[in-house]
Amino acid sequence: MALLEGRNLRKTYKLGRKNEVQALRGVAVSIEAGELVALMGPSGSGKSTLMHLLGLLHGPDQNHGPAPELSFGGRDATRMSDGERTRIRAREMGFVFQQFNLVPTLTAVENVMLAGEYAGLGRREARERAIARLDMVGLAERATHRPSELSGGEQQRVAIARALVNDPALVLADEPTGNLDSHRSAELLGLIRKLNREHGQTFVLVTHDAEVGAACDRIIRMRDGLVRAVELVNEPTLGDVGEAAA
Amino acid sequence: MSLLRNLARRRLRTALTVTGITIGIWALVVFGSMASKISSIVAMGSDYYAGKIVVTDKSGDASGRSPMDIALADDIAALEGVAGAVPGVSTLLDPESMGGPSIPDMIVGDLPGADQGHKTFDLHYAQGRALTTQDAHGHAAVLGSDLARKLGTSVGDALEIRGLTFEVVGILEPTLTAPDTTVRVPLAAAQEIFFQDLPPVVRQNLQADRLATDITVYPDEGTDIEALAARIEADIPNASAMTATEFDKVAGSSVAIFSAIIVGVALISLIVGGLSVINTMAMSVAERTREIGIKRAIGGSRARVIRELVSEAGLIGLLGGLLGLGLGSVVVYLANEAGRSSGMILFLLTPQTAVFAVLFSIILGVVAGIIPAWNAARLDPVAALRYE
Repeated sequence: MALLEGRNLRKTYKLGRKNEVQALRGVAVSIEAGELVALMGPSGSGKSTLMHLLGLLHGPDQNHGPAPELSFGGRDATRMSDGERTRIRAREMGFVFQQFNLVPTLTAVENVMLAGEYAGLGRREARERAIARLDMVGLAERATHRPSELSGGEQQRVAIARALVNDPALVLADEPTGNLDSHRSAELLGLIRKLNREHGQTFVLVTHDAEVGAACDRIIRMRDGLVRAVELVNEPTLGDVGEAAA
Repeated sequence: MSLLRNLARRRLRTALTVTGITIGIWALVVFGSMASKISSIVAMGSDYYAGKIVVTDKSGDASGRSPMDIALADDIAALEGVAGAVPGVSTLLDPESMGGPSIPDMIVGDLPGADQGHKTFDLHYAQGRALTTQDAHGHAAVLGSDLARKLGTSVGDALEIRGLTFEVVGILEPTLTAPDTTVRVPLAAAQEIFFQDLPPVVRQNLQADRLATDITVYPDEGTDIEALAARIEADIPNASAMTATEFDKVAGSSVAIFSAIIVGVALISLIVGGLSVINTMAMSVAERTREIGIKRAIGGSRARVIRELVSEAGLIGLLGGLLGLGLGSVVVYLANEAGRSSGMILFLLTPQTAVFAVLFSIILGVVAGIIPAWNAARLDPVAALRYE
């Protein structure tokens, strides 16, 4: 069974009284557990909006067109309360947002801990895991720095460590390599593939970067609020640990 | 920890808000202490009058009583329901000191031992002893605590009053009310002083040792005090009889006015402080929209966002409350110290006032923080993330 299954997903934003933007015009998408998927497309194609729907940050439009369907891990997400959706985000999902979405008053390790605490970890455990995840992204020695004392790339890596602290089944990342140089970018992709292969964690990466797309199992291409193409990049290699170093 | 950091992030605004609350709580503490002092005086006065009736001449007032004939005491004692009637003289220690906001220093003369066996207001001695029947015709004096400190006198010292020399034989423990600023002397001596102060025209028709300014009436057990007071006023010409109930009525009205002032101050500080907390928190929510969006997105619940912001507002309240209490205590202390030499103790800061002021301030912050916190928690996480 698919980890994420969506059908008839539409989302309209009201910009003014009469000005509406149809960000998603009826999307069907299915993501298997353990997949590494890239969501690609030009700006305004609706890929971020789709990511927000898949991450249960938004509900799909219900008031027009055929009834939307969205399930996560077999649960119907269209009928969940805000509390239930929040709980799933806290415990089963990890998020990396565009730009540097860290809490400015907290140090790197505290930012990572915060997500751990939301997921229900005790303070001590959250701290241990936070340090381990920062180490994983190569930032252990910058743990006590505030976001303002970190470079864009470093902040991005803190955000990635934060997304991983609760060992989520699904990680949703919006332009995770956007602020990284090609060396760091390759390193991060290596880490994502490793986690994907070794722990079976599912990743959905929103990206412009063809190299990121090429590193994924599948690319979902979007344009004008619709899915235009789904391409298989690599053979699905779930469980194929030997390839992790590639 | 992160709460303090959030406040420190907007240092100026936090400081201004805390200052606003500080001023409100400061006012609450100072006015509250003043009210406490006044009600403690009233309560002591009420105790003082409890179970007895104080008869004065109708034409007199609280500080300048008119002379009465001492024989009236016997007339009153003859009435039904009266166990005893003791004449006394009280007059100003310094005749120039009329008016002013506090209780003036008084000379009180009474017959030592005359109130034996009756229910009286307990006095405790810090040094020395009480006046006794042996002192009746001598010049011994007992000083109230404030007066002793003001005059720098201790037991054994000589004390000059209107040309008469008294020996200080005792000093009272503080009572927080009238006896603190009173010198007690034998009746005869007080009569002499009072007589000297009278205008010559009045003096002509009087004899010093026949004078009294007040007569304390002790009723028989089981007698209705109010009814007895009415009977005294009916039977004795020009007599005004004061009971505890009546005292409470008179004093109570001034206490009520004061309480109204306190409530007013509390309301003003509530409104001003509350609005400034709401303003500060609303600004800080607007500024942190994006941060709140991140927290909600990565799984922070609404309750958690509310709790965080409300605690922050409560902390502002706590800081303002503590500062206000601190400043208020300093002012109360300094004012009391400055006033001590002139016997003007205007404030009494009770633990209840202190605790109330701080609690009030915390609650104020919390209540004012709820609305902005509620709005923050209802933000759409995605819209909040996009917010610039």
